[in-house]
Amino acid sequence: MFEREPNIDIVFRNGLKNLEVLPPADVWDNIPPMPVKHSRLRIISGIAAGVAALVSLSLLATWYVRNNSTPLLLSEVTAPGRDIRDVSLDIAKAAPVTRPAEARIVNLPATTAPSEPAGLSDMPAMEEAPTELIAYADLPERDVLPDEPVQLFSDEITIINAGRFKGAGENLKTTLPDLKGAKADQRFLLGASLSPAMGFSRSGDDARLAELINSEKSRPAYTTGVSVAYRISDRLSIQSGIGLSSIGQTISDVAVYAGLSDYYSVKSSYLYSVETAAGLILAGNTDLYLADSKARVGTLIPGNMADPSKYRLTQVGSDIQQVFRYLELPVMIRYKLIDRKVGLNVSGGVAYGFLVDNSAYTGEGSDLIRIGHTEGVSNFNLSSQLGLGMEYNISHKLIFNLEPVFRYYVTPLSEISGSLYKPYSVGFSSGFFFKF
Amino acid sequence: MAKDKEIIDGCLTGSRRDQELLYRRYSPKLYAVCLQYAGNTEEARDVLQEGFIKIFENLSHFSHEGSFEGWMRRIIVNTALERYRNRYYLNRVDDIDEVTEPEAEPDTDDFAGLEAFDLLNMIMELPPKYRMVFNLYAIEGYSHKEVGEMLGISEGTSKSNLSRAREILQKKVMILTGVTKRMVHV
Repeated sequence: MFEREPNIDIVFRNGLKNLEVLPPADVWDNIPPMPVKHSRLRIISGIAAGVAALVSLSLLATWYVRNNSTPLLLSEVTAPGRDIRDVSLDIAKAAPVTRPAEARIVNLPATTAPSEPAGLSDMPAMEEAPTELIAYADLPERDVLPDEPVQLFSDEITIINAGRFKGAGENLKTTLPDLKGAKADQRFLLGASLSPAMGFSRSGDDARLAELINSEKSRPAYTTGVSVAYRISDRLSIQSGIGLSSIGQTISDVAVYAGLSDYYSVKSSYLYSVETAAGLILAGNTDLYLADSKARVGTLIPGNMADPSKYRLTQVGSDIQQVFRYLELPVMIRYKLIDRKVGLNVSGGVAYGFLVDNSAYTGEGSDLIRIGHTEGVSNFNLSSQLGLGMEYNISHKLIFNLEPVFRYYVTPLSEISGSLYKPYSVGFSSGFFFKF
Repeated sequence: MAKDKEIIDGCLTGSRRDQELLYRRYSPKLYAVCLQYAGNTEEARDVLQEGFIKIFENLSHFSHEGSFEGWMRRIIVNTALERYRNRYYLNRVDDIDEVTEPEAEPDTDDFAGLEAFDLLNMIMELPPKYRMVFNLYAIEGYSHKEVGEMLGISEGTSKSNLSRAREILQKKVMILTGVTKRMVHV
């Protein structure tokens, strides 16, 4: 009998079927923005793509190094007569060589030390077979004391004719292992860098996002930090470290007034919100009254309860500075295209960023007033970076690096605007590196 | 007017505007459901807020195969049940009330003049345990077994609560419409 449907049930079911009741106005304001869920597959794919790119770059660079590098690393060449290396080098057979007109001749030490220093005058005639000459060096202009060893980089030395070494049956490389010298020992580089940049953003097809981006200006961005690099080979190095990066926007044409708490006291955690491309700024500073003409500002104050525009308030700003700071852990691969005193290198890699500061301010200089924070900003981001830079060897141990850097945020900064809002930046990275 | 699918897709890309559009479109109907289960406006607004947060969080799981409104309604009902269970579970009395025989009922035409708000108020005035069972059984169409599982009560308790709820509602309806008088005089 209970399974029979009594009329009272039907009365209520039908009567309530299309009932609509308008909910209180503040319910919507208390529903936080919906976080955009990134599929794991997408994140894993992104990381895998980054790793694959790095591996490919490394393999390519390794292949290039193996196929193009000079087999002999000579870091020290001294004038003949100073026996700094106990190496047996008797040239058994050597073919005539042609000396480049501008080259200076440097003799490597031999078993029987020559009595005269090497010089251009010692260059034998074309017809005469050299007995000790195995290399010439394009010596740079350096201040070298007579008794001091001359430091040469491998690309400054050209082997003219290594020939065969008497009795050893070995090539020059294996006969002179200790001549690889100090450069190979300096595997690590410690440096500090600063990279100012200008940020840009794109909106995709979302009209509202485009509208918001148009009403915002990118703040100057920067990245600074310390890094350690390890030289895998002469030209290739892998670099990591820790840094701090700052990016943000200026939300223009939002009038900010102070003094609201004198008239209106609240219990809620914020009173005003401002819609931005990176998320919703929640004004936790409830002393502030915010207003704009572009429908970006929302409020929890019911329209029939108070009209702050009629209060006597003080304007403290006309725009909002939205700032995000990230602690970054970069992993970079650097390859020297030109390995000379003034070199050229290309770098690429990724940086993992952890959000450490999320603030919105108004005012300027020492009169900065904190407004609140941006809701929905990702606590983590992944950015990729590509640079092509100049490297200047200031001394044996110190390098100055200057390179234009392009950075693109692989993951969106904001969980609210989803995959549509991915800023990128172009800047200059400069820094000093100490070799050890 | 934008279709539900377009709005849902917009919500999934994180568009706050689409989220608001979705809320504005469906919140009046869902708020009525909340009132039906919650019994008072304070509780109902909390259920609506919590329910919409869940709707947004689970929007990506909606398969577009059934009714979207029905899917949202189920989330709201489950939210209300969850809150009810958390609030009343420890204090619930698991006894089986005496099952009373329902009285002879008047025809539904006798209640034709009843406003939906009157009906809603009557449900809201029911004691929570009767209200929940009546809503789940009579309005949502669940069986006593399902209602028992949802509320953590036995089937017998569900039946007796329903019976009591019907009795109370019937009396209220009759008082409101004057049907009692007519019935007495007939």
